Amino acid sequence: MAHSFRFLDDIAVADLAFKAEGDSVAELFRAATEALLETLAETSTVAVTWERTIEHASGELDELLFEWLSDLVYWKDAAGVVFHDADLSVIHDGATWMLAAVLRGAPVDQATQTLHHDVKGVTKHLYEVKQQGMHWYAQVVVDV
Amino acid sequence: MKLNTDMRVNRVTDEVWEIPVTEKAGMLVPARIYATPSILKTMDRGVFDQVTNVACLPGIARYALCMPDGHWGYGFPIGGVAAFDTESGIISPGGVGYDVNCGMRLIRTDLTRDDVHPKLDRLMTELFRRVPAGVGAAGFIRLNRDSFAGVMTRGARWCIEEGYGWHRDLAHIEEGGCIAGADPSTVSDHAVGRGINQLGTLGSGNHYLEVQVVSSDRVFDPETATALGITGQDQIVVMVHCGSRGFGHQVAGDYLKVFEKAMRRYGISVKDQQLACAPFRSPEGQDYFSAMNCAANTAFANRQVITHQIREAFATVFGPSAEELGMEVVYDVAHNIAKVERYPEGELLVHRKGSTRAFGPGSPDLPWDFQKTGQPVICGGSMETGSYLLVGTDRAVNETFGSTMHGAGRTMSRAQAKKSIRGEQLQQEMKRRGILVKAVSLSGLAEEAGVAYKDISDVVETVDRAGITKKVAELHPIGNIKG
Repeated sequence: MAHSFRFLDDIAVADLAFKAEGDSVAELFRAATEALLETLAETSTVAVTWERTIEHASGELDELLFEWLSDLVYWKDAAGVVFHDADLSVIHDGATWMLAAVLRGAPVDQATQTLHHDVKGVTKHLYEVKQQGMHWYAQVVVDV
Repeated sequence: MKLNTDMRVNRVTDEVWEIPVTEKAGMLVPARIYATPSILKTMDRGVFDQVTNVACLPGIARYALCMPDGHWGYGFPIGGVAAFDTESGIISPGGVGYDVNCGMRLIRTDLTRDDVHPKLDRLMTELFRRVPAGVGAAGFIRLNRDSFAGVMTRGARWCIEEGYGWHRDLAHIEEGGCIAGADPSTVSDHAVGRGINQLGTLGSGNHYLEVQVVSSDRVFDPETATALGITGQDQIVVMVHCGSRGFGHQVAGDYLKVFEKAMRRYGISVKDQQLACAPFRSPEGQDYFSAMNCAANTAFANRQVITHQIREAFATVFGPSAEELGMEVVYDVAHNIAKVERYPEGELLVHRKGSTRAFGPGSPDLPWDFQKTGQPVICGGSMETGSYLLVGTDRAVNETFGSTMHGAGRTMSRAQAKKSIRGEQLQQEMKRRGILVKAVSLSGLAEEAGVAYKDISDVVETVDRAGITKKVAELHPIGNIKG
């Protein structure tokens, strides 16, 4: 199983954009999650002292990813944390996509963590989630 | 002239260009762009596409406008201005900007460069300590839901009541720092959860706190400058650029979802999902307007608490008190907002997104001491080049719904800037040039390098020549704090 992401140069002049891909839906979600976590902070510099279990369900896969990424931004502000990683699974049950995740991180600490952007929100500008052959792709623009 | 559009763009004057309604199906009014030919040539395709999309929205009056600092944005372009009939028109979070009431504040001092230079390092350290910036930074004020509701409804007034500022500050804030019609019941728990710990924080991205110098040779209108408290003579001033932080963005995101469904119900179709809107008089439109006003008040309060912290920092370093240092608020102005204003067409909801209100002399909305000068307009440039203080004009009220530019405007993407510039190196180079920078994120610093922005002087010259704002003074940075 494999996934990857890369930041895009010319999609959003004043903000940041990334393209994520994976060879399954779950791997796509992992790639997009890593991209957003790295946008916030260098994850290797963030300890694991905070944890939150998150579940979401949606009839639309793109909405599920949007809600999940928006959750990361919410917890960053509401709990004052940045993240080390997220252990997640995505399953398709009939007409519903379901995500279960454990989000891990630590309170913001400018002395020990390498911090990047204070993402204000995930946007739907040029947002897409699509399958091509055996691969899943997502393009996401985040407002910084 | 080669432009980044296939649409026909007609010259009206050397600073005003018009795209006629024939250039895109559904345009209800022409689009007008304020730019010199050289700025127009550098404008990205998004400006032309988006300003003409805005021209298709129901109830739009006169023109869809874009200022010379315009560039691509979500739905509306940054630098966009559009006014809608309050009975037949719409309200759109994409026209306000997601960072509701992102804005600028300028604080004057009686200090000079000679006073500050020997203690600049200590001053910037003190400011960096007192004004939290960057990812997840929390403010020093602990709020519960009731007190946060007070912030949402009373804005900067709440701060004054709590001792964070002087009562006379309010007269020098747009709307007195408190917009009526802000009902916290229209705000989601998610938005409250994101905003409750962020009062008095700067954020990151292009937000900053800057210590600046006004030299006498960069004062263009001495009489107006004096009336605004600007003396020149290497005077020190402080500029703050920030908004409603995660709170305002959550309000926008919440209502984009509401409006996506509402548009189907009201039979509204838009050319871009980020233009999601609702009739202004609909329950959904009124709820968003109320929630947006809660976010706008929170942004006024945010800049007020930051002002309090700036005054404390200056008093600590230079003593004896901020009052004795002459640290009055010159003005505080929103550049992401929608407001009901009266024009010859009637009552209009003016959306300004990356655009500043610029009312001229004699406006009943201005306090007595700006009746002769017109409204102060504060425009931030890049952290390397400088910023401007201007004043509004009657011509702006007549031509652009009392609106003008807000800043320099980006030309290079963040990703490109980060590839070509190293934050640490930039910080050292700026120090050599006499600009001391304290930044939470060095990669974020690289993205804000001067080369990533238009030359603000070109942008300012455009609005000055067009007559929609008049230059008062240029402000040169010597210290900058970034998230």
